[in-house]
Amino acid sequence: MGILRLSHVDIKVPDLDLAAAYYTEVIGMLEVERTDDQVFLKCWDEQDHHSLALRYDPRVGLDRMSFKVEHEDDLAELEKAVETYGYAVERISDGEAVGQGESIRFDTPSGQEMELVHEVTRVGGLLPKVNPHPVPEAMMKGIAPPRMDHLLVTAEEVGEATKFYMDVLGFRLTEQLLDGDGHQIGTWMERSHSPHDLAVVSGVNGGLHHFAYWLDDWDHVRKAADILAYNAIQIDVGPTRHGITRGETIYFFDPLGTRNEVFTGGYRPDPDFPTITWTEDNIGKAIFYYEGELNDRFMKVHT
Amino acid sequence: MSGGILRLSHVEIRVPDLELATAYYAEVVGLVETAREPGRVFLKGWDEHQHHSVILTDAPTYGLEHMGFKVEDADDLAHYETRLETAGVSVERFARGALAPGHGDAIRFRAPTGHLVELVHGMEQVGNMLPLNNPPPEPLGLVGMHPPRIDHVFLTAEDVDDATRFFSELLDFRLAEQILGDDGHQLASFLERTHTPHDVAFITGPQGGLHHFAFWLDDWNQVRRAADICSYHGIDIDAGPTRHGATRGYGLYFFDPAGNRNEVYTGGYWVDPDADPITWTESEMGRAIFYYEGVVNQRFLTVHS
Repeated sequence: MGILRLSHVDIKVPDLDLAAAYYTEVIGMLEVERTDDQVFLKCWDEQDHHSLALRYDPRVGLDRMSFKVEHEDDLAELEKAVETYGYAVERISDGEAVGQGESIRFDTPSGQEMELVHEVTRVGGLLPKVNPHPVPEAMMKGIAPPRMDHLLVTAEEVGEATKFYMDVLGFRLTEQLLDGDGHQIGTWMERSHSPHDLAVVSGVNGGLHHFAYWLDDWDHVRKAADILAYNAIQIDVGPTRHGITRGETIYFFDPLGTRNEVFTGGYRPDPDFPTITWTEDNIGKAIFYYEGELNDRFMKVHT
Repeated sequence: MSGGILRLSHVEIRVPDLELATAYYAEVVGLVETAREPGRVFLKGWDEHQHHSVILTDAPTYGLEHMGFKVEDADDLAHYETRLETAGVSVERFARGALAPGHGDAIRFRAPTGHLVELVHGMEQVGNMLPLNNPPPEPLGLVGMHPPRIDHVFLTAEDVDDATRFFSELLDFRLAEQILGDDGHQLASFLERTHTPHDVAFITGPQGGLHHFAFWLDDWNQVRRAADICSYHGIDIDAGPTRHGATRGYGLYFFDPAGNRNEVYTGGYWVDPDADPITWTESEMGRAIFYYEGVVNQRFLTVHS
């Protein structure tokens, strides 16, 4: 019932071919479909049509974040909830968007466009459904994450945005970062019983801080760092660990400046999980547990 | 109905020597003891918030006394009670705390596989071992394998098709994987509620049997370390460290002092509720169970508790 997980992230890129080359060769995603100005990609273990959509635009940034709902009637229910909150909801009919059926789109208090979708074209993973090997050995190019994991967006009013995601869309708050006055400056929310599917930190409205791929373990994170360095990709931070979410991570930038993350670890919160609170004096350890301090770039650069 | 079954909550295990079993689960596995009463000891993984996930019960024999699943909402208990009774299954209700210290409201019934099943809501939250403000990622000083939590239970039943049907139709489990015999019947089935490859699984065998229950570890390195700990303590390793074809997980099997099989497990994948199940054929059963070895040892197929 309700939102299941992150479905896909749609971003703007000023050089479609360069971006597509990076996401297929360095990240190791698979190109599923291409139109005049869009490229659709998925990770090897994902069954759905795409988890990343690149669209040509002179400027970088987020087009929208799309979440998958479990049941068809969740769309109507959440549409009503969003409209009651006061945002207009646009219905995108079946066939209007590549690779998926009917969806709803709306603005959020954090300024990003959000989409909820139920039917996504099933293209299948790279493994057969009968006697599958655990990994598709032949294709493992680049980092080859099995799937997309979460995204972090920026908002002027983190508290207001968080309230919207929780009260209207049913997200649950696993962790929060509070400033000295007790105001939320970062929130981590989940639907998938993981530490986060969506997180919000203080910044401009409408910004994308990063989106993250799931990796299987810390060893895979180390291997990802090797691949990034080999391809001369600019690493932002890591490999390191987060205090918040307990995850293990590397941040880096795609060639157009969008921040990516590879992420593993974490824990399994029940819906009655008591929220963990981080105080501003511990912000360094909260974000980068080993370094204990933030770099300026991490705080300021977003798309 | 609201959220339904969330995950495996706990197992109650019979042990003929309670002191020995407690020492093993606390020192070798590294669970945390939360309560003790005459004849029973209650333990949990360090990262679990709820009161207990393993109950050791003094008994002349070994095996599974019952298994409990956590439901998301209080209404779920009444919902399943009605549904089960309509299907002709008798259900017993227990008030909060009636079954064990810290226990929640619960219903119990006997599955057609012979297993006693419990659904529970509102078990006492005792907290994990970390503060809720500025917590480190793991407490220091944990002993043994110290898994953060319990993961799944693997049972034996004479009719696996029937077990799968009961757990899917009446309890809303979803079939993630199955091993089909050449005659088209299920030799094994892997069922989930948590979007992981399995929370409960069945393999052909005697009614009411426990093949193993499993603890979650964070990665393959931890599985290797668990094997070191088994060897150090002279614990009998059954199989592994190895990988499963079914579930893609990494596992190590070993026996507690009473003869109940334990597993430490990691890996797997995310499963959407609308995912198509994966099927293994009988000729590939070796690879399905032990992907690296490609054959299943006789002990794995015949020994259970």
